[in-house]
Amino acid sequence: MSIPTKIPISSLFHRSAAPFFNPTKIPTPPHRFLFSKTITKRISSNQPLLSSPPSSSSLQRVEELPPKLQEIVKLFQAVQEPKAKYEQLLFYGRNLNALDSKYKTTENKVQGCVSQVWVRAYFDEDKNVIFEADSDSMLTKGLAALLVQGLSGRPVEEIVRVSPDFATLLGLQQSLTPSRNNGFLNMLKLMQKKALQLYVEAERGESPSSGVSGIGDSAISDGGEGESEIGGDLREDLGGNSELGSRGRRIEEILKELRPTAIHVEDISYQHAGHSGVAGSDGETHFNVEVISEEFEGKSLVKRHRMVYSLLQDELQSGLHALSIVAKTPSEAVAQ
Amino acid sequence: MMMMISMESAVVKLPPSLRTIKLNPNRKNRILRTAPFASSASAPAPAPLSTDPQLGPGSLGHLTRPDFPILHQEVNGKRLVYLDNAATSQKPAAVVDALRNYYELYNSNVHRGIHYLSAKATDEYELARQKVSNFINASESREIVFTRNATEAINLVAYSWGLSNLKEGDEVILTIAEHHSAIVPWQFVAQKTGAVLKFVNLGEDEVPDVGKLREMISKRAKLVVVHHVSNVLASVLPIDQVVSWAHDVGAKVLVDACQSVPHMVVDVRSLDTDFLVASSHKMCGPTGIGFLYGKSELLSSMPPFLGGGEMIADVYLDHSTYAELPSKFEAGTPAIGEAIGLGTAIDYLSAIGMQKIHEYEVELANYLYDRLSSVPSVRVYGPKPSRSVTRAALCSFNVEDVHPTDIATFLDQQHGVAIRSGHHCAQPLHRYLGVNSSARASLHFYNTKEDVDDFIISLYDTINFFASFK
Repeated sequence: MSIPTKIPISSLFHRSAAPFFNPTKIPTPPHRFLFSKTITKRISSNQPLLSSPPSSSSLQRVEELPPKLQEIVKLFQAVQEPKAKYEQLLFYGRNLNALDSKYKTTENKVQGCVSQVWVRAYFDEDKNVIFEADSDSMLTKGLAALLVQGLSGRPVEEIVRVSPDFATLLGLQQSLTPSRNNGFLNMLKLMQKKALQLYVEAERGESPSSGVSGIGDSAISDGGEGESEIGGDLREDLGGNSELGSRGRRIEEILKELRPTAIHVEDISYQHAGHSGVAGSDGETHFNVEVISEEFEGKSLVKRHRMVYSLLQDELQSGLHALSIVAKTPSEAVAQ
Repeated sequence: MMMMISMESAVVKLPPSLRTIKLNPNRKNRILRTAPFASSASAPAPAPLSTDPQLGPGSLGHLTRPDFPILHQEVNGKRLVYLDNAATSQKPAAVVDALRNYYELYNSNVHRGIHYLSAKATDEYELARQKVSNFINASESREIVFTRNATEAINLVAYSWGLSNLKEGDEVILTIAEHHSAIVPWQFVAQKTGAVLKFVNLGEDEVPDVGKLREMISKRAKLVVVHHVSNVLASVLPIDQVVSWAHDVGAKVLVDACQSVPHMVVDVRSLDTDFLVASSHKMCGPTGIGFLYGKSELLSSMPPFLGGGEMIADVYLDHSTYAELPSKFEAGTPAIGEAIGLGTAIDYLSAIGMQKIHEYEVELANYLYDRLSSVPSVRVYGPKPSRSVTRAALCSFNVEDVHPTDIATFLDQQHGVAIRSGHHCAQPLHRYLGVNSSARASLHFYNTKEDVDDFIISLYDTINFFASFK
């Protein structure tokens, strides 16, 4: 093409001599298209496409999984053909007990699923966790059933230690889309969170509730679901890890701005080891925080939490993944 | 009896750009007819299969398929059947080449430099703008503002025109079938200005109620925001009429043409619309570029949207003066290569002819609708195609007792068929229809009758699989 001798008029209006490349900061408009959570190109069915390729050292060994889950993993490994795996999955789903509709609440709903999934957890007499779940999608229900069957009847410590990597061991990842896998991971996470909640509730001397909404783990997003007040300052009784790393100590220091009469920071990151939020951080990612301070007087729960969050902004932006907050005034703390 | 013919061997591969499509002589007659449908006037009986020359061997789909490299692959061991075009279209080799050429030969920032590369890049970029302008028959190319996509274009109108023209009590008329990008920015504007959003529901044929729409356009209405073609219902709105009703009361009209510009002739002057938006990636162009069309007197009166370089004339410390159209609305370095790619896509489409594309797609749309609605326990949304009612080449549907996600997953994994499941960025519409989500198969001119046949067969298999587990 020859050298253009004409330059469109519109470009001549721009008189500045120095070119300056100013990447505009465009406010994020709603996306035009419906996006899937992860985008993976599938060329052939033979290649397992993993969002984060696990090294053999980080994959939890099958022997460490709860016994029923081990059985399930082995069963799926024995089934080679993708369609047969589906059939197996649907078979599990069909045998899943229906969940009473009163348990299909927001607190029990799994985020990140294209279909609707609910999970409920409660203790049996031996303080083992029993799960129930349901979904309007048969494949998702199958996945839920796998988890329910694999994890029900086990103690909390075992459940929270299950790494989501075992999904790879199932070999279902090849047969399921990434967004479904996300749902799977989120289901597992929710189940683990609920198991932990049951544990925390029980330790606090509350009667093991039937697992209906109560405590919500304060995630990053503001205005989390209704938090019930837990009586008493019983954190010490949990016997949590009393040694704090640098972040834990920083959190303690920062929260002193609230002039607390009592403060307890507990690092529970180990329970979340292996899931996506932890990767790339220094390991101090999840904390339970309890603060007792006059500053909370007259403030709503949401407002109290916001105070704590805003103080910890820098930490939240540098690897702190989640906080579980208990914020009380001294009078509330004393009352049972 | 279904004919599966591998068309690759029968087609002569013509040079990618500026192709002329050689048609069968008997097809010429079809192109000239005025009624764009199958001649049977009765309600949808299954369309005659391989005897229809428009869809049979040598159809537009068969002829153009070789131009799209991405379609020639296998997914999960099966031939890829790509039926998600309403989400994004595929790109002909010419467009991919154009992008490559840009970066290999003349990449340079536009409008700023003097040197050879910069002048060439500017030339091509402005030429692309002219191509867009011609494609939709705008009066002049400065009525075309390049944006990142249609969503950004709507936001531009909302923040620039909306915030400075709407006041408390003014009404913005929309339909409940609008895409989220046509709703949410106006919610922002309504919150800030006190304007009121009013929504038109669907009529009995599952199309926005045009009569009610007309009634709602009262003196209080200042803006009407409507889709041209619905990405869920496949319905088409009579934009020219809507525009005349709006102008009668002094209201402006913003047309979301994302699903129309890629598939049919769209003439902004004949429609007389004030604003029109579209995205490149839905019309065989690259992602990352779209455009806003606005009448020049309107755009000239609007304040800038994004600030920065390019959109200014003089910059002082405490204030600046702004550039002329269209630069006023194009802050920062644009997606130059992408704009040029869009221009190439327009060349490609124009060489085929939008009328031709439209007619082929109407045939394919009817075929898809007929076959899909004949599948037991399938419910397709939107109007029935007929002599007076055109459907776009897409079908959103639900299968009784089977979740759309299950359908889409199984179709993909077991059959290599790509459809979409979800709410398709139209939650209010789904809520109105009483469902959480739906599945959607959407076609483009490079799809063939065999694609539809494969889809239907795979769908039967999918439904049977899940039914056996009930």
